[in-house]
Amino acid sequence: MKKYISIIILTMLFISLFATTAIFAKMDIGGELNIALSGVLFRESEALTYPQGSLDLELYIPPFDNNQIKTAVYLYPNSATGQLDFMFKKLYLKHKFDKLQLTVGRQPISWSFGSMLNPVDFTPGAMVMDEETGSKYQNAIEAYYPINWNSSVAVIAAFPNGFEDMKWGIRGRTMLEGYDLTLNYVREAEQNSTEIVVPVNQRIGFSAKGDLGPFGVYGAIGYNFEDINNEDFTFLAGGDYSYFFESGSKIYFQLEYLSIKEERLSSLLGSLAILDTGMDSESNAHLLLSRTAYDINEFSAISLFTISSLNDFSTIIMPNYSNQISNSLTFNCNFAYFNGKQNTLFGPGLIGGVQEKPKITIEAGFAYSF
Amino acid sequence: MQKIKRVLLIGITLSILFSSLIIVAAFDMTAEEIINMRDNNEYFDTAEMEADMIIASGKRIITKTMVALSDRKNSLVEFTNSQDRGTKFLKREDDLWMFFPDAEEIIKISGHMLNQGMMGSDFSYQDVMESDKLTDLYDFKIIKEEELDGRPCYVLEGIAREGVKVSYYRRVSWIDKERFIGLKEELYAQSGRILKETKVNQLEEIEGRWVAVDSVMENKLRKDTYTQFILTKITFNPEIPEETFSLQNLR
Repeated sequence: MKKYISIIILTMLFISLFATTAIFAKMDIGGELNIALSGVLFRESEALTYPQGSLDLELYIPPFDNNQIKTAVYLYPNSATGQLDFMFKKLYLKHKFDKLQLTVGRQPISWSFGSMLNPVDFTPGAMVMDEETGSKYQNAIEAYYPINWNSSVAVIAAFPNGFEDMKWGIRGRTMLEGYDLTLNYVREAEQNSTEIVVPVNQRIGFSAKGDLGPFGVYGAIGYNFEDINNEDFTFLAGGDYSYFFESGSKIYFQLEYLSIKEERLSSLLGSLAILDTGMDSESNAHLLLSRTAYDINEFSAISLFTISSLNDFSTIIMPNYSNQISNSLTFNCNFAYFNGKQNTLFGPGLIGGVQEKPKITIEAGFAYSF
Repeated sequence: MQKIKRVLLIGITLSILFSSLIIVAAFDMTAEEIINMRDNNEYFDTAEMEADMIIASGKRIITKTMVALSDRKNSLVEFTNSQDRGTKFLKREDDLWMFFPDAEEIIKISGHMLNQGMMGSDFSYQDVMESDKLTDLYDFKIIKEEELDGRPCYVLEGIAREGVKVSYYRRVSWIDKERFIGLKEELYAQSGRILKETKVNQLEEIEGRWVAVDSVMENKLRKDTYTQFILTKITFNPEIPEETFSLQNLR
C-alpha cells in the first residue's frame, strides 16, 4: 500500500512541479505492454502453463536548465502475493554541470560492451543474452566526467540494501586505434552479519571491443578478490560477423567463450541460473555461447542462442521468432531446451534438492508499445 | 521604326548568342564539375532535420520517425516513434555507436553492421549517415544525357576509388542539369549486380538549395519491398555545439 501512496505522491509532485511551466505541455507518457502465455515441461513433474503480463510505463519529461528527470515504472503481477506489484526502474535527476554530469536516484547501471554475458559489469547478470534483468536498477549516485568525445570517467555509489551498505565502482572508458576500452573497479557492499565474517568482494575488470578486418572482436578480463588468499580470474573472448546473401538477406553470427569460477555463474546467468550441479565451486566453468540471427524480411527474424558447458557438455538451446505486425505490435515466441546428463550444469536434476529443473520452456506473446 | 527594329535585332542576336554560350558551357562541364555542383548543393557544413522513414514489405507498412544532426563527418540520429523512442546512433567517421534507452548503455557497433538495414529499412546505416563528399569516394564520368520525368539530366557513372571503403562499388546517377541534384541513383556491387535504386519523388527549394524531401529506396535483391524517406523539416547550417557528436551526449 505504501508503494501506491508513494506513486500517487510522486505523480502529484511532478504535476505540481511542471503545471506552471511550459515543460508540462511537452510531457508525454509511453511504454510497453507485454502479454504472453508461458509453459514449462519437466522430465518428471507435471507441466505448467500460466499467463504472464507486465507493463512498462515511462513519463517523458523534456530536459530543462541542464536538468533531466527520468521516471519509469514496471508493473507486474506478483506470483508470491497474487497482487499487482511494481518496481521503479528509473526515478532520477540528472544535472549537467560544465564539466560533470551528476545523476541522483534510481537508475539503470549497465557496463555492457557488446558481449552476451558480461563478467565485468557493475552488477554481474545485469544483462543476460541481450535481456535486461532487475538487478541492473540501483539506488545510486553517479558522477560522470567526460574527458573528450570518447573518453570518460564515471564514479558510482550504489545502495542496494539501503544507505548502510554502499557498493561503489569506478569506470574509465576510452578509444584507442578504433578499439573501445574500459577499465573498472567495483567494491561490493559490506555484509553486515554478526555471526560470519564475510570479506568484501572486489573486482577489477578490463574490456575491449573493435574490428579485426570484417570481424567484430571483443574480450574481457576480470580479477576478483576478497583477500589475498581468495582470488580468481575471469576471462571472456568473442567475435561477430555478418554474411550477406546474394538475395539481399543477411545472417549474423556471434560466438563467445567464457571462463569463470563456478560459484560466480549463478549471479552472471540471471534467470538461466538453475545451478545445483555438485561441481567443485572452486573450479572454473568454461562456457561456449553462440548466437545466430537471420532476418526473414523487413519485419520478422529468427535467432538461435546456445549456451554450452565445456566441462560437462550440457547445453541450453534457445530459438526465438519475432514479427513486427504493425507500428506498435510485435509478436515474440521464445523456446528453451535444456539438454545434458543427470546433474550437469544445464541437464536434469534438482534445484536446491527440491525443485526439478525444467526440460523445455516456451513463451509466446505480444508486445504493444505506445 | 527602323531604329526599334535594329535594337530588336541586336537584342535577339545577343540573346541567341548568350543562350548558345550557356549551352556550350553546360556541354563543356566535366563529370567532376557536375558532381562537385551536386556535392555543393546536397552537402552542407551542418544540418538539423526531422524525417519519417516508411518501411514497406508486401502490404505491411511501418513508420519510424527520427531527428538527426549532421556535420561533414559526423551524424547523430535519435528515433522518436513509440517502439524505438530514445534509441540513438552516433557515427563518427567509420565508427558507429548505439545508445539503448532502457539500459541507458552505449555500445560500439561492429563495422560490418554499417552495411545492414537501419532499423529494418532498405537504407543501411552507411546510407543514412554517410557524410563524405562523393568526389572523395568515387571517380565519375558522364555516360549520357537524358530526360527523367521531364527534367533534363546528366547521367554519371561513379566507380569507387582504389583503397576507399564504400558500400557500393559502382553508382549511376541521374543529375538534374539545372538544379544539380540527384533525381535517381542505381547502386551496384563489384560483380555488376544492381543492389539498390533510389528515386526522388519530390523536390523543394529550401534556403536557396534544392532538397529531396521525399525519396524512395528499393532493395533490388528483395521483392515487394521499399523504404520511403520523407524529410519533414530541415535547417541548414545551424550552430551545433562541439560536444554534440560525443558519447557523453548520447547518454
